[in-house]
Amino acid sequence: MDLKMKVNHLPALTYRFLKSNDSEIDLKDINIEDTVSPDPEDVPSGVTVEKNVSEADVAKLFQAAKDKIKSKDKGLAGPNGDTFPLNKGQIIRSGMGIEVDNLMDEMKVLSTVITAGEGVKATEPIHIRYSLADGDCTLGRQVICAKKDSEITVIMEYDSEAEANGLLGISTRLLAEEGAKINLIKVQMLSEKQVHFDDIGGVVDDRADIDVITMQLGAGKTWHGCCVNLLGKNSVFNNHTGYLCRHEQTYDMNYIADQYGEKTESNMVFRGVLLDKAEKTFRGTLDFKAGSSGSVGDEQEDTLLLSPDVINRTVPVILCQEEDVDGRHGATIGQLGDDTLFYMQSRGIDEDSAKKLMIRARMESIARMIPDEAIIVRIQQFIRTIL
Amino acid sequence: MSDNNKTVVDIDRSVYDIKDVENEQDFYRMEDGFTEDIVRKISEEKHDPEWMKEFRLNSLKLYNELEMPDWGPDTDELDMNLISSYVRSKTDMKGKWEDVPEDIKNTFERLGIPEAERESLAGVGAQYDSELVYHNVKDEVADQGVVYTDMESALTGEYADMVHEYFMKLVPPTDHKYAALHGAVWSGGSFVYVPKGVKVDIPLQSYFRLNAAGAGQFEHTLIIVDEGADLHFIEGCSAPKYNVANLHAGCVELFVKKNARLRYSTIENWSKNMYNLNTKRALVEEGARMEWVSGSFGSHTSYLYPMTILKGDHSTMEYTGITFAGKGQNLDTGAKVVHQGKYTSSLISTKSISKSGGIGTYRSSVIINKEAKHAKTSVSCDSLMLDSISRADTIPGMDIRTDDADVGHEAKIGRISDEAVFYLMSRGLSEEDARAMIVSGFANPVSKELPLEYAVEMNNLIKLEMSGG
Repeated sequence: MDLKMKVNHLPALTYRFLKSNDSEIDLKDINIEDTVSPDPEDVPSGVTVEKNVSEADVAKLFQAAKDKIKSKDKGLAGPNGDTFPLNKGQIIRSGMGIEVDNLMDEMKVLSTVITAGEGVKATEPIHIRYSLADGDCTLGRQVICAKKDSEITVIMEYDSEAEANGLLGISTRLLAEEGAKINLIKVQMLSEKQVHFDDIGGVVDDRADIDVITMQLGAGKTWHGCCVNLLGKNSVFNNHTGYLCRHEQTYDMNYIADQYGEKTESNMVFRGVLLDKAEKTFRGTLDFKAGSSGSVGDEQEDTLLLSPDVINRTVPVILCQEEDVDGRHGATIGQLGDDTLFYMQSRGIDEDSAKKLMIRARMESIARMIPDEAIIVRIQQFIRTIL
Repeated sequence: MSDNNKTVVDIDRSVYDIKDVENEQDFYRMEDGFTEDIVRKISEEKHDPEWMKEFRLNSLKLYNELEMPDWGPDTDELDMNLISSYVRSKTDMKGKWEDVPEDIKNTFERLGIPEAERESLAGVGAQYDSELVYHNVKDEVADQGVVYTDMESALTGEYADMVHEYFMKLVPPTDHKYAALHGAVWSGGSFVYVPKGVKVDIPLQSYFRLNAAGAGQFEHTLIIVDEGADLHFIEGCSAPKYNVANLHAGCVELFVKKNARLRYSTIENWSKNMYNLNTKRALVEEGARMEWVSGSFGSHTSYLYPMTILKGDHSTMEYTGITFAGKGQNLDTGAKVVHQGKYTSSLISTKSISKSGGIGTYRSSVIINKEAKHAKTSVSCDSLMLDSISRADTIPGMDIRTDDADVGHEAKIGRISDEAVFYLMSRGLSEEDARAMIVSGFANPVSKELPLEYAVEMNNLIKLEMSGG
């Protein structure tokens, strides 16, 4: 089959010449055979796993959240160039948008639902591993549900044989009920011949928390979207993304914090390195909806450019329909500072080694947040290998 | 907080809203709409050279082909079939103020234009609807070789070749739909040429007044500041309010030659039935500097993003802007910059205030091309929400294509803090004055860049806004 999808719509469109309003996935003649998610490993007690759950049943899980979003809609005009209506048909809004859902539905991909029962604090992480062989074209869907006052950590790791061709497309939806916490970690170390997309949509209820950590290190072309709906009062979304793109890798991302509830908090950090002819597009949006009084949001992007041939696009958006909020974003894009280089060289480290050191430090500042030492070591090895 | 301060009313703009009745005897009005016949008639009326007639007709063709952007404010209520492209007084442009017809003169007197000319300007152009009615430049400035004239005279006079060389080369009609429309029906505007090394110490000003209901104003401003020269140009605009839509699709092209400097200040106070779809662009050569100061207060809908192309090595730009979006307004404003030369730098600093249901959008683009080694850019945008029925959106975009660049960007959105109001009240200020003082402070980085009389006017506007009167 041929695969053509428009994804990662900027929540409010801007100038066409910036080529950042959306992105197209255009793949010819692919053969998607595998649509079964791997079994989660290390499932602690109090956590249940249900496989092959239909979209109709997933929709029921999110119905209350969807109703709550509807009830908060005050019918006010959206931003200029509003793309929100494009994805209204989704069970829950995701970063990449409805066309990922449509593909998954068309390919009859069923979900694996992982649920932490009420009050369960699962301290040890659950692992989901995708290991792709040459030619594998795989789609997968997961739902992670944390019931009231529970906590769950899920680590998803994607790797492949070196030089393996193929496609890995993932959709993960998150539901954190009142007082619950979901920690989701995604580590992508696929071969550069792989095409990869990864879509996240989440809902956070009162006092609940979703923390996402992402390491994007491999794959030739990557699309990544994440939208978290902060519905409840005092709900929190934290995101930390680290990425390393080299050769002719492309990385296209779309992160959205939809802040509906009162006193919600979002904090998004993006730290990356571009080498060779790598190309990256970053879209990050804080959307303070009417009624989100007392909310705060912060997004910070820090990109290190280490080649004259890289392309870096950045669109950090703040949308605001509420007076009593505090939103900010900052971006720092450039090469290694002369002071840093000088310091390193004065310590006997040559320029090339200094750059490698800074790349590793940057990546490890995110990787170190992963609560699994073995994965951190694998990330370090992967970075050492590619550098 | 008292309710008084939650209710922020519109600016008292009665002085701008005084309408002058335009009768058929004194005014010529082109029929509404934009057709080939109309464009031919305008060309004939204006005695265009042949190339300009062809240019207009080609632009019209483009206008009909190009689509409206899908990213900006809605313009569905702007019915182009109900807009007249050309309205002019049946009087020639005057070089003496006393020769300007009484009704038009009164309008400009009320706006304080002649007074400003006497006190603090090197020259003034006053456009009423589609044509300039008055143009004058002080002798000492003219003696330096500075040319400040209306576009029509420049097009057919001794600067005809220069106009032909530069006209719509920086903003080609292919740029977007309203640039094409401008190319087809443009009328009025100013031509300025500052010779090499000449520094004009006091500003030149053009004032644009659109008095006719249901009309469009399409003035063209072309400024060439030659090598090592220096100029400050001020542009002001206003119109009375009608309950039918008016359209402003002007075009400003600025050429800043090697080591020259141009400051372009705009106070836009169109009435709130105006669709302000204006295009401004500057080409900055080696070692030259472009400075924009922009205040957007009026209009129903605005698309306004002055663009700077830093073509020459070591060229620089600075953009300082403020936007007030009040009831019924959707003001989509910002700036664009392209770094092309080496060691170029840009500094964009904007403030936006949204109130009473207004929508204020800051939109920008920073492009650093591969050749622009050692480019530096810093963008800062702050938004202030004065109530919860308004919108304040920030949509900046950056496209960086070299590692040898230094890019900094920050944006903030927030409200007036209760602590700050409380502190000022504890020092004896009323709550109303405290809030007004905080908003004035917020706008201060912009107002300090304006000529004094404009800064005072802006602060008065803020006070009026905040007091609810």
